[in-house]
Amino acid sequence: MRLRLPFLSRGRRERELDEELAAHLAMATADRIARGESPEEAATSARRELGNEALVKESTRAQWGSGSLERLLQDARYGLRILRRSPGFTTVAVVTLALGIGANTAILSVVDAILLRPLAYADPDRLVVMLHKGRNPAAPGNFLDWRAQNHSFESTGAAELWSANLTGAGTPEKLTALKMTPEILPMLGVQPLMGRFFLPSEGEAGRDHVILLAHGLWKRRFGADPDVIGKSVMLNGEAYAVIGVMPPGFVFAPFWATESELWAPLDLRARAASRESASLRVFARLKKGVSLAAARQEMASITAALEREFPGTNRDVQVIALQEKVVGGVRPALLVLLGAVGLVLLIACTNVANMLLARSSARQKEIALRAALGASRGRTIRQLLTESLVLASAGGVAGLALGAWSVRVLVTLAPPFLPRLSDIRLDPRILVATFVLSLLTGVAFGLAPALQASSVHLQDALKDGGAAGSGRQAGRLRWVFVAAEVAIAIVLLVGAGLMMRSFVALRRIDPGFDPRGVVTMEVSVAGTRQAEIGRRPVLYREILERFAAVRGVRSAGAINHVPIAGDIWGWPYQIEGRPRPRPGESPTAAYRAVMPGYFATMRLPILRGRDVALTDTSDAPGVVLVNAFLAGRVWPHQDPIGKRIALDGPDDNPSWLTVIGVVKNAVQSNWAADPDDEVYLSLLQRRALMESPQPQEAYVTFVARTDWDPAALVPSLRAAVWGIDRTLPISEVHTMQEIVSSANGRARFQTLLLAAFAAASALLSAIGIYGVMSYAVSKRTREIGVRMALGADPADVLRLVVKQGMAVALAGAGAGLAAALLLTRLMSSLLYGVGPADPATYAGVAAMLLTIALCASYLPARRAAHLDPMKALRSE
Amino acid sequence: MVEREPYRDRIELLQGTLDLLVLKALTWGAQHGYGITQAIRATSREALQVDTGSLYPALHRLEREGAIASEWKTSDNNQRVKVYRLTAAGRRKLTEERSRWDRLLEAMSLVLERSKAPSGTES
Repeated sequence: MRLRLPFLSRGRRERELDEELAAHLAMATADRIARGESPEEAATSARRELGNEALVKESTRAQWGSGSLERLLQDARYGLRILRRSPGFTTVAVVTLALGIGANTAILSVVDAILLRPLAYADPDRLVVMLHKGRNPAAPGNFLDWRAQNHSFESTGAAELWSANLTGAGTPEKLTALKMTPEILPMLGVQPLMGRFFLPSEGEAGRDHVILLAHGLWKRRFGADPDVIGKSVMLNGEAYAVIGVMPPGFVFAPFWATESELWAPLDLRARAASRESASLRVFARLKKGVSLAAARQEMASITAALEREFPGTNRDVQVIALQEKVVGGVRPALLVLLGAVGLVLLIACTNVANMLLARSSARQKEIALRAALGASRGRTIRQLLTESLVLASAGGVAGLALGAWSVRVLVTLAPPFLPRLSDIRLDPRILVATFVLSLLTGVAFGLAPALQASSVHLQDALKDGGAAGSGRQAGRLRWVFVAAEVAIAIVLLVGAGLMMRSFVALRRIDPGFDPRGVVTMEVSVAGTRQAEIGRRPVLYREILERFAAVRGVRSAGAINHVPIAGDIWGWPYQIEGRPRPRPGESPTAAYRAVMPGYFATMRLPILRGRDVALTDTSDAPGVVLVNAFLAGRVWPHQDPIGKRIALDGPDDNPSWLTVIGVVKNAVQSNWAADPDDEVYLSLLQRRALMESPQPQEAYVTFVARTDWDPAALVPSLRAAVWGIDRTLPISEVHTMQEIVSSANGRARFQTLLLAAFAAASALLSAIGIYGVMSYAVSKRTREIGVRMALGADPADVLRLVVKQGMAVALAGAGAGLAAALLLTRLMSSLLYGVGPADPATYAGVAAMLLTIALCASYLPARRAAHLDPMKALRSE
Repeated sequence: MVEREPYRDRIELLQGTLDLLVLKALTWGAQHGYGITQAIRATSREALQVDTGSLYPALHRLEREGAIASEWKTSDNNQRVKVYRLTAAGRRKLTEERSRWDRLLEAMSLVLERSKAPSGTES
C-alpha cells in the first residue's frame, strides 16, 4: 500500500503532480500523432487542451488536505521572508516582546508558586492558625481550653519551637526542631515516607522520646539509612527513638520555624494550667461545611468567656487561614510587582503595535498592489495578521527563554524570607498561558493595522506614491500610543523611585550598633556535660577569655539573643514606687541578657552609667541596663541610674533590679520598626540561663569584633570553643553585616525588581518615542523640504519637530503622573520614610522621562533640519 | 469548467456530475487521468469532454475522501503514470451519486413533460 496523500510531504506531492500532468500531456500528444497530426501540431493542441497548467495545478493543490493549514504556512513563510528583509524592525520588535513576556513569565511563576499554588497539605483551605494579635503565641492553658470548647474544628493542635543538640557520631549540631501535639501531622493530611506519626499516648512524659526526621536530615546525618526506624539518637543528651521519616519537600510549620528538621511530641501536662508563658502556635482544621467566619465567631465567644475568667490572657485571639498567614506578608509586594510587569508588557505591546502600524502604513503601496492583483480583503488581513503572529511567536519563544533564565536568577537573588522559595519553578501552565498571551498580543495589535491597511483606497494609495497616504487616523493612533507609553513608564518609574527612596531611607536607619567587623556564633550546652549546674558561668567566661586571646580579635562579648537574628522575648515589668499594673496590663520590654563586653564589641554606646561586670553574679544585687527609649518614657526628666524595676510582672514580692546604665536604642528584630522598651540584664545573674537544661535557655551567642575580615576569624573562634569541649554544638555563625543585610533583604529585592522593570519600561518607551518620531519625520520629509525651500531655517524645523514630540510626551507625562498618584497608594505598605505622593520623586521622574522624550525627538528632528531641500522635495 | 471549442456539440457538465462520471469510468477498470477523459469521451460519443482543470482537482479530492486510491505504474510505452482505482467506499459513493442522478432525471422529466399547469397553483 502507498501512503495516503495527506501524509506525503509537500515537495513530493508537487513533483508527483508535475509528473502526472506531464504524463497526461505526453499521452495526449502521442494519441494525436497516432491520429495523424504532425508532432508539433499535436504538442500544441494537447497543451491547449490541457489549458493553463499553472491554474490546473493551483486548483488541484487546493484539494489537498488541510488547505487552511497549508495557506497558513505559506503566509507564515512569506511573513518570515518579509521580517527577514527588515532585520532592524524585527529585532527591536522581538526583543521588545521578549522583555515583556519574559518578565511576565518569571514574575507569574513566582506569584504562582507563592500566592496561588496551595500549600502542600491536603485540603489546605480548611487549615487555620490561631495567634494573639495574629502573630503572638498562645499559652498552654488557653490552647487546651480552646481545643476542648470549640465545635468548629475537626482537629486542633499546637506546636512549640524546640532546639535539639544532636550529638554522637560526627560534629555536634544544633537542629531547629518543633514539638507538636499528636493531632498536627494527621491534620495536615500528609503521610510519612516511612514509619508512622505520633500516637496520642506519645504526648506524655516518658513516652515522648520519639522523633520524626525531615528527609534532608535523614540523608545528611543518617546517610539515607533505610533501617533508621527504631534507631536511637542522642538529642540534648537524651536518647530518642526514630519512628518515621517525612517525604522530601515536607515543610512544617510553613510560616515560622520553616527550617525545622526534626519533630517530637509535645507534652503539655506539666504546664496545663499556665496562662502566662505563651509559646504555642495553634493549628486547626475546619470541619467540612464550617466557614472561617463561623469559626471566628465561635472562637471570639470562647476567648471572651476565658478573658472574663482569666483577665489579660485571652485578648485579641485571631483565627487566620494558614495560607493567608504564610503569604499575607509578601502579597502586597508581589501584587505590585505583578502590576509593574503587566505595565511593562503593555508598553511592549504598544510599542510593537506602533511599529506594526507604522510599517503597514509604509507598506500601503504593496498592499494596494496586492489588492489590484486580486487579493481579497480577507486574504490581505490574514497575511498581515499572520505576520504579526509570526512576530509574536518569535517574541514568545525569546520571552520564554528569558523567563526561564529570570526565574533561576530570581530564585538565587531572592532573600530567604520569601516563603516557599523552593516551590518556585517555571510552570508548564504558565508557559502555555504566556505563549497564548503573546499570540493574543499578536492578534490584538496586528489586527488594527491590518484592518486599517486593508481598507486602503486603491487609487489614492497608488497615486500617492505611498508617502502621504497613511491617513490622519493612523497618525493620531500612533501618537496616542506614544502618549500612553510615556504615561505607563511614568507610573513604573514613580513606583521604582519611591521604592528606591524607601530603600535609601532603610539603609540610613541607624541600627544603634556598628555591624561591620562583628562575627556571631551560637554555642549551646544543652545535652552536654557543660549543662550541669555551676558549669555555665565558668564555661562562658572561659570562652570569652579565649576569644579575646585570638589574634585579630579586638573585643568579645556575649548575649542570649543577638539583635535581628535572635529570638525576642518580651517580659512584663513594673517600676518601683509606681502603682502596680492590673493583670495582663503590664508594659513589656524586650529582654536580653549580656556578658561584659557585649556593648563595646557591638559599638552600642552606653549613654550613661556602666556595663555589666563579671562581678554582677547571682551573689550580687540584680542590675539592669535600659534603652534610651524606656528611660525617656519612664523617667522623662530624671536620672534613671539607681532607679529600680522588676521583670516579674505584677508580683507581690518582686525581685528588684537596679538600673546601672542607659544604652542607645538598638534595632530589635524588625529593621524599620520604631524603638521599643528594651532591657539588658547580667547573664551571670539569670538563673534560668545559667542552670536550666531546657535547650531554649541553655545557649548563648558570642560576638567578637575584629579590624580584619570577620569571616576569617571563624576557624580560630571555633577552635577556641572546641579547645575547651569538643562536644559543644556551634551554630548560627554569621557576620553581623550578613544579619543586617538579611533584614534589608526584602526591601532590596523589591527595589531591585521594580527598578529593573522601570528601567525596561523607560527604555521601551524611549524606543517607542524615537521610532514614531523618526517615522513621522520621514513621512514629512517633503513637507519639511517645502518649508525649507520657502525659507524656513533649520532651527525652525528643529523646533517644529521637537514641539510635536514633546507635546505628546507632556500629555503622556501628565496622565502618567495622575495615574501614579492613584496607583502608588496601593504600595504604601511597602514604603518606608517616603509617602506615596512624594513630590521629589514625581518631579524627578517626570524630568527624567521628558529628557528621554526630548532626546528621542531631537535626533530625528536634527536629521530633518539637515535635510537638503532639493533632495527632500524629490523624495517620494 | 468545460471547454466547448473545438467540438461544437459538447454538453456543459452539470455541477456534481463529474464525480459520477469519474467513478463510473473507474468501474471499467483502473485508469490514469488521461485514460479517464478518453473513456468518457468515447463512451459519450464525443459529447462529454472532461476538462483537465476540473478532472485533476476532482481526482485528488476523491482520493482524499477515500473514494479512489492511486498507484504509480509504468505504461506500455514506458511512461510512469498515476493510475486510479475504485475503493469500496468509492463504490458506495457511486451508488449514492447514481441514485441521486436518477432522482434528478426523473424530477426533470416530470417537469419538462408536463403540458399544463398543475391544479392548485394557478396564478
